[in-house]
Amino acid sequence: MTKALAIQAKSISKTFRISEDSHNTVKHRLFNLFNPPRTKKVEALKTMDFEIYKGECIGLLGRNGCGKSTLIKLLAGVYPSDTGNINIFGTTLLMNLGVGMSHELTARENIYVSASVLGLKIKEIDEIFDKIVDFAELREFIDSKIKFFSSGMVARLAFSIAVNAGADIMFLDEIFAVGDMKFQEKAIKVFESSWIEGKTVILVSHSMDTIKKYCNRTAFMKNGSLVYFGNTDKAIEMYVEDNH
Amino acid sequence: MIIGILTDWVRRSNKAERLWLLAKIEFKLRYYENKLGLLWALIKPLMDIAIYYIVFQTIMKQNVPAFASYLFIGLILWNFFVESTTGTVQILNTKKYLYEYSNMNKLEIYVSTLLSNTIGLFFNFIMFLIFYNFIERGTAFSTIHTLWILPLFINLYILSLASSLILSNIYVIAKDITQVWQVFCSFLFFLSPIFYKLDIFKARLPKFDYLNPIAGIIINARKATMEGTAPDFGLFVWDLGYAVILLLLGIFLLNKLGSKAAEKL
Repeated sequence: MTKALAIQAKSISKTFRISEDSHNTVKHRLFNLFNPPRTKKVEALKTMDFEIYKGECIGLLGRNGCGKSTLIKLLAGVYPSDTGNINIFGTTLLMNLGVGMSHELTARENIYVSASVLGLKIKEIDEIFDKIVDFAELREFIDSKIKFFSSGMVARLAFSIAVNAGADIMFLDEIFAVGDMKFQEKAIKVFESSWIEGKTVILVSHSMDTIKKYCNRTAFMKNGSLVYFGNTDKAIEMYVEDNH
Repeated sequence: MIIGILTDWVRRSNKAERLWLLAKIEFKLRYYENKLGLLWALIKPLMDIAIYYIVFQTIMKQNVPAFASYLFIGLILWNFFVESTTGTVQILNTKKYLYEYSNMNKLEIYVSTLLSNTIGLFFNFIMFLIFYNFIERGTAFSTIHTLWILPLFINLYILSLASSLILSNIYVIAKDITQVWQVFCSFLFFLSPIFYKLDIFKARLPKFDYLNPIAGIIINARKATMEGTAPDFGLFVWDLGYAVILLLLGIFLLNKLGSKAAEKL
């Protein structure tokens, strides 16, 4: 049986050019036409290939600064790749400490906008609207602008939208650091329920337990290269070793 | 790319809904946040008309018949263009939350913002029709030719979308495009036949009705809504071609520069 592809990455890489003096105005660019800015190249991701199939839960391990976040931004289609190409089959949602929400909009409007961006129709959003609000525990503040919310409230709303609306491919970057203990318990419960079934999930976490429990396959990254991609236990072993 | 977007549209039909949702929220944000609300959208063109009327009709005695209506239709079309360009130079920055966490097509952000401006223009156009037919004296009633405003508007929409794409994507690499555009925009304003008598405009600035992409749209809109005749088709096709070529350039820039917006802004 051939499995359906969710993400196909072919020889992708990413290099950031960090310029020392900023040439970001017309004036600057004109006056320094023959004096190009000095840039420092940072190789964030070295060339790599891999495939992720629909319904898989993939763990992503590596020490700080090894390129995990850059990789998921590339895979989510937020950053373009410098080389090669990425095929993404479906909508993506990248979650770290928040999802795309405008602070100028109310919680209600944000729910509709975010869920719509994730591919839901208005009717479908109407149906899950109460579920989102109750899960986020924000019933009283539903028509307040979220700029008046505490950071915990914003994070809860974001998580609730992500859980209930959900994209085809979800990138979860250290999401269990959100909210108080009660909310965290709820969040983990969601994870254990049928939520991830049928969805493709890429989980970035420093919690070995979480990765071990939920991931079919795990990738281990070091200094911008993909060192290992396969068996979860083996990847965890390599990561632990790297930390010593 | 355009074919890609269209097939995508048919496949995931929530796109039309999403564009409308984003447009409505954008419209609400713009007008319901201040005390005067929607009234402001209606007062602004009236105030502009009053100012230009005093300058060009009372002081300079241009003697254009039905000058208030003449100004009205010119100004609401011009205002749509300015709001859709000057107002969107920083759109990739202000609407970052929409594309920073998902693979949403950035073009949708532009289309929905311009759609929200369209709602404003629609109200203004209704006001214009009321003003022209019932308040301005000595004018003939609107004819069936008024409907030509629809293709003319589509032309204006494409032109505004194209300019918006070009400007906001240059903004990714050159922040002071905002100031450059403001200067260019006021230049364009005075080189458009908004408050000049058309004969004088054509005589003093020959070829500008073709050179300036918005001039032709205004000239044709007046033909359709005030003179009750069909637009000058040569001019219309020229302007449409102008807008489409700029749109292709805009989409090229979106793919080239706009794709890096998430990391550069």
